[in-house]
Amino acid sequence: MKTDQTFDAAAAQAERAHTDADLLQRIARDDREAFAELYDRLARALYATALRIVADATEAEDIVQDVFLSLWEKASDFDPGRGTAFAWALTLTRDRAVARVRGRPRRAEAPARATAEEAGLKSGAGPDSALRLLGKEHAGALRAAVASLPPEQREAVELAFFSGLAQPEIAARLGETPETARARIRLGLLKLREALGGRHD
Amino acid sequence: MIDEPLEELAALHALGLLEGEELASFPTKMGRDPELARLVDELREAGAQLAYTAHSPSPPRELKERLLEKVDTALRFRAEQHQPRKLAAPAWLPWIVAAVLAVGGAWTGQLYLVSRSESAMLRDQKILAEYELTSARNQLRAERLVIHHEVATATDQAGAVQRKLEAAEAQAGQAGLQLTAAQKLIAARDLQLAMANDRSAALEAQAKHDADLANFQIVTLGSLLGSSPQALGIAVWNPARQEGILKVEKLPALAADQDYQLWLSDPHAPAPVDGGVFSIDPETGGARIIFKTDKPIRSIARFAVSVEKKGGAPAAEGLMVLQSK
Repeated sequence: MKTDQTFDAAAAQAERAHTDADLLQRIARDDREAFAELYDRLARALYATALRIVADATEAEDIVQDVFLSLWEKASDFDPGRGTAFAWALTLTRDRAVARVRGRPRRAEAPARATAEEAGLKSGAGPDSALRLLGKEHAGALRAAVASLPPEQREAVELAFFSGLAQPEIAARLGETPETARARIRLGLLKLREALGGRHD
Repeated sequence: MIDEPLEELAALHALGLLEGEELASFPTKMGRDPELARLVDELREAGAQLAYTAHSPSPPRELKERLLEKVDTALRFRAEQHQPRKLAAPAWLPWIVAAVLAVGGAWTGQLYLVSRSESAMLRDQKILAEYELTSARNQLRAERLVIHHEVATATDQAGAVQRKLEAAEAQAGQAGLQLTAAQKLIAARDLQLAMANDRSAALEAQAKHDADLANFQIVTLGSLLGSSPQALGIAVWNPARQEGILKVEKLPALAADQDYQLWLSDPHAPAPVDGGVFSIDPETGGARIIFKTDKPIRSIARFAVSVEKKGGAPAAEGLMVLQSK
């Protein structure tokens, strides 16, 4: 059963998505100001994600630049029926970041990841996260949704989202079988969708 | 209705984790099942929200400026592309165009043949370049692996050296503390030794002084003068230092060309030894002198004072006025 807070958050999220979609439509008509505004709305979260995955500020910057240039060039390809502009931009960001991580030599992964963790680039909805870009209801609902996940599911989902690792490596990192890791990712993501006001059957 | 295995594939696909056969076949399943496609979109949306929870500094300010510059450049380029170019066409232009086309057609035909050849050559060059690029990439990858291995090995070695260095520094620190403690102990012992030496020297001096006192010879010299029977003298002799003190009283005054002279009688010497001349206070007849001898004295049997000529005599010749017993 959805709470009032969840409804408010879902409404805030929908409004935000609507605004992002409008901006993308304006960008498709070569609207420079719309591009600048979309950058202000999305850049921090995209940069945070890229940085968390590649653990290298210069690479993260390259990735975000590449993504925004793609948004400028391909804004007309955006289909609001397939998802939000944010999810689209984030998918572009993650794809590029994961490709970079998986293109690295194996031995280089361990120190890079250690560096990222030492640098405090963990998720957790802290004061340095991009949460402050969201409205109060949306940020509160997101915090609550992440906090509501059982720890093992939360760890699996965060590792799947932020690590850039493939399935077998995620399972190894979790110390579980691949089947268990897949199940935890499924359950965690479904629960997150439900907590954020998405569909639930 | 979507079953669990399909849900799992949807979740993995939403996070870009499908690989191999699953990745190849899943888009077809989504294409056939709109509900499945919607689930993937919703899970992707839900997962995307995690991006807001990542701790991160803001991207550099220059990034936005750089992006806007690129956008401005793109906008200028598009504007130039779309600028209309209107030219006035003279009446003879079609004839000129026709002539040019006729000549150009022949030339173009030849050019086409040349271009085909060049294209083929360029394709070959491109294939060769791609091959070289692939080789270079492979070599670079191999070199990276080697370098990473070497870096890892060197890091391990550096770590081991660092640990040894830290252990050695710890030992050196401990040894330094022990050395400092030992130095303090030595300084304390030196001080104690110096104090003991001082005490020993003092005791030795005291002992010597006591021994000297014990060996001192003290005698009284009595008057031999009938005219001055109250005249007397006291002599103290320190054999260790070969010196002594003579104090006389109430001796009669002498003539200006005369002096009193002290004599020491050593049984081992053939004659009395000269102890020196002295004069007295004319009013009290007293004097106090410290005397030494030119010759070493082994023992003194007797002290005597005589009246001699001024400056003294080498041997006692004058009147004896005082003598010890």
